Amino acid sequence: MKSEASHRRPKGWELRKGTEIPSKDSMGSLPEELIIAILVRVPVKYLLQFKCVSKYWFNLISSPEFVKTHLSFSAKDYTRHISLLQLDTQYTNIKYCSVSSLFHNSVNEALDLDCPMNNPPQCLYILGSVNGLVCLSDGFDGLVIWNPSIRKFNKVFDYVPTQIHECWSIYGFGYDEVHHDYKHRHCWGITSIDLVDEKWGKVELPSDNKEGGLKLGLLGSDLSVLCNNDERTHSDVWVMKEYGVKASWTKLYTITYPENYNLSPPLFMYNKGEILLAFKSTFAIYNPKNDSITYPEVPNVEVTSIYEYMDVELCIERLVCPDLPNED
Amino acid sequence: MSSSTKFLTLKTCDDKKFVLDEAIAVRSQTIKNMVEDDCVSNVIPLPNVNSKTMTKVIEYWKKHSEEGVSKDVLMDFDKAFVKVHHSILHALILAANFLNDKEILDMMCQEVADRIKGKTPEEIRKEFDIKNDFTPEEEEEIRKENAWAFE
Repeated sequence: MKSEASHRRPKGWELRKGTEIPSKDSMGSLPEELIIAILVRVPVKYLLQFKCVSKYWFNLISSPEFVKTHLSFSAKDYTRHISLLQLDTQYTNIKYCSVSSLFHNSVNEALDLDCPMNNPPQCLYILGSVNGLVCLSDGFDGLVIWNPSIRKFNKVFDYVPTQIHECWSIYGFGYDEVHHDYKHRHCWGITSIDLVDEKWGKVELPSDNKEGGLKLGLLGSDLSVLCNNDERTHSDVWVMKEYGVKASWTKLYTITYPENYNLSPPLFMYNKGEILLAFKSTFAIYNPKNDSITYPEVPNVEVTSIYEYMDVELCIERLVCPDLPNED
Repeated sequence: MSSSTKFLTLKTCDDKKFVLDEAIAVRSQTIKNMVEDDCVSNVIPLPNVNSKTMTKVIEYWKKHSEEGVSKDVLMDFDKAFVKVHHSILHALILAANFLNDKEILDMMCQEVADRIKGKTPEEIRKEFDIKNDFTPEEEEEIRKENAWAFE
């Protein structure tokens, strides 16, 4: 099921703050703080089912405060992260599998996600993902902010920062716009734009790198950068622990290329050690401790050509509806 | 144990008394605060906890206070500890919340969360003693909105 996030939610019985006190029967035997303590540990899919339990539970699960707390639990839990993957932008099909199954090499198959647009476009690009919201583009002017965990999307027409500068979700897109922009310019340095005051700035790099290649990524909530060395035999991967502070760049690892240099920046770190990344058209798990790379199998994702590259984006499970700008 | 071992008496809502080493009882932040504020008389009343639940809590406290107990043993103990009827889980959550023992509270909440995954809304209502205040039409509308989640 896909649905656009504007005409939803049955009205009428929806609680407005202060206007109606939920009946005790509708709450059940545990006080609210304890119901919350339990439900923040439940994955999104089940919470969507539990909205049917009672009006009280519906309002609780829909509330911005709960959505926020739930996200902070998801961020710590690798079973609540998914990898979106797309083999070819000519197809609008996007698949996903859970990050935990990749680490355990137990992926049965990558599952399909419906294209989140009513009229599927000819191409579909994943521009980026931050905190559970994914930005998609049809390559022209159509932009969509999509939450794959709840299968809801919202169209963003004619992207103009002034109209949406307060919209939290655009932060992710903004970030990835930089990312995208950067990839096309291949210049040194990272240019940033602050979407709140629309000022352009520069983010200083960890070291004086010469020509060789640079890729930006996001690891958790930290900016990461993969710097190829001159000979393209290995790369240094850095993370910026505190955004904008040059001294906070920390070298995470140096990775030797398996056969060529098409490694992605780190996607996810498990247990403060193993790193999930993409290498050409497969996933790879790099263990910095013994400098080894393993390749988790995704049986139904087949590489048909050596020129084929997989577009991978990491996405955290999140309840937020893409049409609520002031959610956080 | 040295000769300075102090004992506290805890009294549950059903008037049962538990005599416990203070060093163990202060795993409860609530009791710890009372001891530190020096407002502990002879008996500490626990008006929100019954004796059946308190027995379980003390069993947990004693095991986790044992000297030299290995992580594996504790893991096995915890696994067995949470295998109880959901009504006892709920009682333990309420008790851990009152006693302010974050360790037990987190473990119990996680157990309930793991158990309710995949249960139907009707099963949830039964377990949490919740009355369904939706009309069938309203419920159907919410189901339709997230139909994929029910597949």
